[in-house]
Amino acid sequence: MADAKDILGLPKLGERGSTEKRKTPKDAVKKPDGIHREVYALTGGLPPIMSTLDPVSIKKRAAPTKKISWQWLPFSTSARTDNLQLYHWVRIVDGSQPSGDYAFAKYNKGVDGVRYTDEEYNQLLVDPNWSREETDRLFDMCEQFDLRFIVIADRFTPPRTVEELKHRYYSAAKTIIQARAGPNDDLSDHALFKDSYNVNHEVDRKKALNIILSQSRQQDREDAEVIAEARRITEARLKAKGLEDTQVLIRDSLHVDTTPARVPSPSPAAAGDISFLSVPVTVASTTSVPVTPVPKPVSASPTPVPVPSPVPAPAPAAPTPVGPRPPRVYLRGAWLAQQIHSVVSPAGVRIAKRVDQMLEEYNVRSKPKVPTAAVCAEHLELRRELLNLLQLQKQVQHKENELAVLRENPYAEIPPTPNTPKRSHRGLENERVSTRATAAGAEFEGFPSSGERVGKREHKRKAPARFQETPTSPPYHKRARKLKGSES
Amino acid sequence: MHGGDEVSAIVFDLGSHSCRSGYAGEDQPKSVFPSAVGSAESLGANTDKEAKKPGQAEVAKVRKLYAGVQALGYRRDHMEVLPAMKGGLVADWDVVESLWDHAFRDRLLIDPKEHPMLIAEPSFNTQQHREKMVELMFERYDVPALFLAKNAVLTSFASGRATSLVVDCGGGSVILGSVAAVHDGYVLQKAVVRSPIGGEVLTDCLQRTLEAKGIIIRPRFSFKRKEIRLGEYELIPLDPPNTTDSYYAYAQRAIVADIKESICRVPDSAFDDSSYANIPTTPYELPDGQIIEVGADRFKISDILFNPTIIQTIPGMENFSTEAGTTFYGLPQMVIESINKCDVDLRRELFNSVMLAGGTAAMHQMKERLEKDLMEEAPPAARVKVLASGNALERRFSVWIGGSILASMGSFQQMWFSKAEYEEHGPTYVQRKCP
Repeated sequence: MADAKDILGLPKLGERGSTEKRKTPKDAVKKPDGIHREVYALTGGLPPIMSTLDPVSIKKRAAPTKKISWQWLPFSTSARTDNLQLYHWVRIVDGSQPSGDYAFAKYNKGVDGVRYTDEEYNQLLVDPNWSREETDRLFDMCEQFDLRFIVIADRFTPPRTVEELKHRYYSAAKTIIQARAGPNDDLSDHALFKDSYNVNHEVDRKKALNIILSQSRQQDREDAEVIAEARRITEARLKAKGLEDTQVLIRDSLHVDTTPARVPSPSPAAAGDISFLSVPVTVASTTSVPVTPVPKPVSASPTPVPVPSPVPAPAPAAPTPVGPRPPRVYLRGAWLAQQIHSVVSPAGVRIAKRVDQMLEEYNVRSKPKVPTAAVCAEHLELRRELLNLLQLQKQVQHKENELAVLRENPYAEIPPTPNTPKRSHRGLENERVSTRATAAGAEFEGFPSSGERVGKREHKRKAPARFQETPTSPPYHKRARKLKGSES
Repeated sequence: MHGGDEVSAIVFDLGSHSCRSGYAGEDQPKSVFPSAVGSAESLGANTDKEAKKPGQAEVAKVRKLYAGVQALGYRRDHMEVLPAMKGGLVADWDVVESLWDHAFRDRLLIDPKEHPMLIAEPSFNTQQHREKMVELMFERYDVPALFLAKNAVLTSFASGRATSLVVDCGGGSVILGSVAAVHDGYVLQKAVVRSPIGGEVLTDCLQRTLEAKGIIIRPRFSFKRKEIRLGEYELIPLDPPNTTDSYYAYAQRAIVADIKESICRVPDSAFDDSSYANIPTTPYELPDGQIIEVGADRFKISDILFNPTIIQTIPGMENFSTEAGTTFYGLPQMVIESINKCDVDLRRELFNSVMLAGGTAAMHQMKERLEKDLMEEAPPAARVKVLASGNALERRFSVWIGGSILASMGSFQQMWFSKAEYEEHGPTYVQRKCP
């Protein structure tokens, strides 16, 4: 490579000069005789530190006593029936050839087939389905192909299935061996008798295998789905059974429990929960039915704050409350978080965040400090209310935008508004909202939730905003509601 | 001690597109040349008149056959190109003889009398053809021993397996695709599926497509390039008279085949015009200096193997139909058909070892595409695995390599069909000796 660089890079005169200079140091360095300059340069241009080749070992070990040469000689193998002589290289030691058979002849293994004589055939092997020629041909082919029945079936004329061929061969072989064996010979060890060939079993097995292999991918997918579905159903059934057992326990404890004040709490809980959460679990219905009629007269007002509290059993590890898939033993804080998540998440991440923000503004912890039953219930309820509020506000704003647009252009197309959450017992609130909107007409641009919030809303307004400050109204409303709730 | 014992056997693989021959024990054939000959009749212009004369008993028309790359490459007056094989089987025995002569005498420089011969034959060869081949070899060339092995079996051995499903996509005259199942070293004849779509069909399609675009492909002998300035050439067309049409077509096809081999690729999924409309084009320089750009066509052509109906869309090939009149399938369907014709116990193993062989199988992405298509069609209970040697040359010569392995094995030496046996039993004995 260095040479090439020289040739291409340096000019001619310079080259000559530099090579001259280089020659002398090279001559001084060039030490070893018998080794080329470049090869020497591979080692770094220096003599090796350690001698790499032991001069003693280079000399021939021992003068070979035998004379080895290779010759092209003919050979014959015992595996052949004729005396074909092919040639190959043979290692000759001291002029004598290796004796013995061809080295590869020992690999010529076959299968020991059975052959019958004519009398044996006529006596034992006559079969209505098989003619003499066919049987002969079968046995010939078995010998030729070493009992590879698939290949034999492929080439057999007239065409027969593999099972038929196998059956014929094995049964014939068995009869012959049995006939030939004397009375003293033990045949049970013979391979043919140990695993005897069962035609019908083979036929069925092959049919089944065929079906499996010809199932298309689509079918396989459907099968997998059906199996998964079945598994799900059995699991659900098991769960239902398990819960039912515990609910039986709850019912018993309820009747036993003598604190009437506490008792009413589960009932509206159960009822409220069901209307609220619309839990599809059958467990809920079965449990609520026996529980509700008992304390129904006790539940006073349509409290919008039902307390989904579990049975105040003495043990802290309370039995299961009714709710979205309640666990048996649980940490209330974690369960609350789960509940919150399940309630709030369908509405969207942004709204969930806003709920959190509002909680912050009102100085409410996002996770209650002491998660007792009542506290958790209230907290959950609070969150729900906030969520509802936000959604309604959104609705209102939508409608007001619509109004604004329609005012300007009465024939404009308006996209349909998103659904409000259905809350039957909040009907009162809804009416209030809508009446406000319609009554006020164009004046009202929607309530800002709090003073600070106004600014944020501004960004979203499409229609020109005529801002009206009603900072106190929503908190007022909220407090009003809250008061109402505490009254009952 | 390895299992090989060299007896200096010769392996000869006669394909539809090219012949490969060489010594057993080597890893590549020494001599590869096209399996077509040029035939020129040396009596020149008077042949017509002489033939018309009645009562002419001995019309001494000496037909000279030119075999080999050099002989074929040289343009001669009135030289026709005759292929050796048609439909995958030998059509013209004179041509085959001249090919053998050329291989033994000119290329390998051997005397056939001294070497046992292993000949690769198509998996669906008929008894008649085999007997004729055996006869020819023993009578004319006087070989000491002979063996006829099926292509699929040899390919299988080349990868070290005794059971596999061999997909042989060869070249050659309106042929083949064949798919054959090999079990324990024997071809299952009932499971052989053939298809007329082969490398030459693809070449034809490509040629028509290029012509439809207005690109003229000039065979090498029909022009001369003269250097005018440094690096610039001027094209001077020659039109030598007395060039036969078949030779012209042959030379053209050689160029198109080269285009196909260098730039065609198999698409990753089924080809449709819309998705490939914006594919960037690849340039290719023709021998006469033209640079052509080939875009979506390179995928379209290779997809014919998987979806033969595309042929109908190529201008000039709408009338393509098989002699048998059967509909022809793409490669994955052929594989599934072949496997389903086999015994149930074998099927899983066959799915697990699908082998690709042949020159056409050396196209890029062929293995991946076939594997993908097969996995879709195959039953989910079976695991599909397509094997192909990574080296394109090995795929092309896998039959020959298998023959080389077989003929140099020590335990094979007992299986030769020797001359003594031939003299004793006659050529029909080949059926027994070479199953």
